[in-house]
Amino acid sequence: MKTIKFLILSIMLISFYNCEDDGPNLQDIQSVTVEDLHAPQEGGQGQPISGQFTKFDFETGSETNSETDWDIAFRGTSIIVNGGISLGTNDEPERTGDAGVYIFNGTMAEMVVVDTSLITQDSSEGYAIASGSGNGWYTYTGPPTYLISPTPGKILVFRTRDGKYAKMEILSYYLGAPENPDAFSDPSRYYTFNYAYQPNEGVTNFE
Amino acid sequence: MPTKIFFFIIPFLYPYYSFGQPNILGNDSTKNKLEEVIITGTKTERVLSSLPLNASIIKKEEIEKTNATRLSDIINEELGLITVSDFGGAEGIQMQGLDSEYTLILIDNQPLVGRLAGTLDLNRISVGNVKQIEIVRGPSSSLYGNNAFAGVVNIITEEPKPGFKAEVIGSYETHNTFDKNANISYRKNNFYSSMFFNSFSSNGYDLVEGDGLNTVNKFRNNTLQIKLRKDISEKLNIKINARYFAQLIDNIAPNNLTGETFTAEDNISLIINHNSDKFKTDFEIYYTSYFGDEFLNDDLGNRFSESFYDQILVKPEIKTVYKVDMQKEFVFGMGYKYETLNRTFFDRKPKQNSPFIYFQYDFYPIEKINLIFGGRFDKFKEYKSQFSPKLSGIFEINNNESIKFSAGYGYKTPDFRQLYFNFSNSSVGYSVIGYNVVENVLNQLIEEGQIANIIVPIEEFQDSLSPENSFGLNIGYDIEVNEQVGISTNIFRNSAKNLIDYRVIANKNNGQNVFSYYNVNNVSTFGFDFKTKFKADNYFDFSIGYQLLYAFDMEARKAFENGEIFARLTPTSPAFRLNKSDYFGLYNRSRHMGIFKINYNDLEKKFSANIRLRYRSKYGLFDSNSNNYLDKYDTFVKGHITANLSLNKKINSKTMISGGIENMFNYLDAENISSLSGRIYYLRIKHNLN
Repeated sequence: MKTIKFLILSIMLISFYNCEDDGPNLQDIQSVTVEDLHAPQEGGQGQPISGQFTKFDFETGSETNSETDWDIAFRGTSIIVNGGISLGTNDEPERTGDAGVYIFNGTMAEMVVVDTSLITQDSSEGYAIASGSGNGWYTYTGPPTYLISPTPGKILVFRTRDGKYAKMEILSYYLGAPENPDAFSDPSRYYTFNYAYQPNEGVTNFE
Repeated sequence: MPTKIFFFIIPFLYPYYSFGQPNILGNDSTKNKLEEVIITGTKTERVLSSLPLNASIIKKEEIEKTNATRLSDIINEELGLITVSDFGGAEGIQMQGLDSEYTLILIDNQPLVGRLAGTLDLNRISVGNVKQIEIVRGPSSSLYGNNAFAGVVNIITEEPKPGFKAEVIGSYETHNTFDKNANISYRKNNFYSSMFFNSFSSNGYDLVEGDGLNTVNKFRNNTLQIKLRKDISEKLNIKINARYFAQLIDNIAPNNLTGETFTAEDNISLIINHNSDKFKTDFEIYYTSYFGDEFLNDDLGNRFSESFYDQILVKPEIKTVYKVDMQKEFVFGMGYKYETLNRTFFDRKPKQNSPFIYFQYDFYPIEKINLIFGGRFDKFKEYKSQFSPKLSGIFEINNNESIKFSAGYGYKTPDFRQLYFNFSNSSVGYSVIGYNVVENVLNQLIEEGQIANIIVPIEEFQDSLSPENSFGLNIGYDIEVNEQVGISTNIFRNSAKNLIDYRVIANKNNGQNVFSYYNVNNVSTFGFDFKTKFKADNYFDFSIGYQLLYAFDMEARKAFENGEIFARLTPTSPAFRLNKSDYFGLYNRSRHMGIFKINYNDLEKKFSANIRLRYRSKYGLFDSNSNNYLDKYDTFVKGHITANLSLNKKINSKTMISGGIENMFNYLDAENISSLSGRIYYLRIKHNLN
């Protein structure tokens, strides 16, 4: 009950802010929930990682196969951006845009203005969203539950390939976003996340 | 009753005090009663009630009437102590909110070794020949050096009695658990000897079906202890104490793996004791070894895994007590510790040599005030040498009231695992490297092309890893309200620094990490204890104990205070910010603990009964909401009460029959509490042969 109220409240708040800040020439901020975006990978656990990344476009709010018109892409727990240089793993797509990212420590609602100075891009040294438990967006619980859990308070703030902004909170890594995921029975590598997309070029404000 | 035991034994044991207790420092001869004597607090005999330390004694009588068989059984019924299991299943003592690796465990004043993952397993120790268990809370490195960080538990075994004495005790419990004991003692003129044999076996039990594992595997163990003493003259005697423990566990693991764990432990000490009017000198040589070997085979009989652990400690020590007069006593001691460990996954076979020296001055500056101060210096090569001071004092307001305090330093050196481990997990691919071998091992991994990035520069490992240390303070007030009621209270605070944790020091090309150890955590535990005893009439007495405990990681607390920590109400709801009051503290710590005991004793009918209730408030075992901290939105192990019942009836002058139920309320939490297997019924017979 408490949870539902909280959700409704957040949705109301977002809509409310949107109404207030609608300028005459500006498009509305889009608030979207994506469920079960599948991001398979091969290898791992000591073996070389490979497999196609699942590319995502904020503007359309959907998965894409385009070589160029994507903002971010997922493979296993790795998230890459369409900007910068390839780390050189197998099957990694070429970066064609100017996307970048940083991690904001706070809640979705608290992330109001993008600090563009913090944005970094993928490089040959490592992804802009660092891999490994506790370094990027997730925490690996280890024994006895062995779960990948999105670390609370980690908001991914993106610049898209074409200079727009989005903020994202990942909610689940398991199919169907179960309330109590079980690493042994729930299929993993299915992302559920909320994001807000600011479709107006160069506007860094989410209010 | 218990006081009579001491009256009886002490004059024989300690010829120096051949006039009995009045010669013991701190004994108030105006009190017309004999009191319990404790040795652990000062390395000299002291009357417990006038000792300025937070100390207690579990007497033989208490152990017997609760029918405890292993040390863990009895520790769980002592206020402020709980047993906690580490991931290897070893059950250790949590004292004043500090982990089990920080409490020193002694048998007859000598330390035990064999802490595979930091915890010394209390199930190794049978209480079938224990005279008393002495517990000193608060750092005690000023006398004992390493490991006496939270406190000391000293198991004092029974000494030989005059003439020939023999008793056998046998008990049978649920899970096909057998406990068999034989105590034989013979003393004639100047020669003393005793032998204790214990055999303990159980089928174990399984709380979680279908995971391919048992909660407790089938096991059997034997303990043999022999004590010899010869009085050469009135002033000189020689003692030899030897103990041997061996255990075999039948292991099973998923995928039809089966195997065994064998452990063997030796403790041998030779003590030469010389007494004169003013001086009492002990020279002792102690040797102990702990050997463990474990293997698993697959269903075809091929070796799947094997590991071993082989630790040796040798310690010569000389100690002199110089009694100036009834108000002043000095203790001087020095010795040498030689330790070595041979273990699977070690880069080398480490050795450690550490000489040490200590002193203590115990005196009455004025009549009602007793002060003790002392210190110990331990010299180390591998890390900073340690000086551990301690000061304590007691003010006896009157015959029935006293105020006491003690402040001391305790430390624990990094263990060999934290220094020399060289382990790579073959299935997942991560590596763990001990601090002292980082340079070698990491360079080797780089040469093999396994390393992608170095996160912590190798130069940072030039300095040595520091010992973990703690400063502890205890302040207590005790009062005997009247003949029936006694109250004892104590507040405590332990500030622990440089606690060792592990971190990622490099990334590997396979996407896994290399870990090593570093000094990082500052932990603070504080709270208070309250104990009261009430004697209702000639039959009934009650005791109640309560402990309040706060145990915090200070950096974690700061992170909450700074608003850096977030949580979700459900795993998939949006995150929100937490504040300072949401931080619960360290894992496996209960805020509240209570003990309630009722004793019934009918001397005429030779029947006694007792019920002991233990309460533990909720506690968290791990972070369940992925923010790496234990906060109030995490999943907790529920607060619970366990109860034990014992009944004892003496059927004739030689035979006692006992029975009882442990975990009477059948409290079960299979997922979180592996040591509770449901109700346990037992029957026990004790018989004196002479």
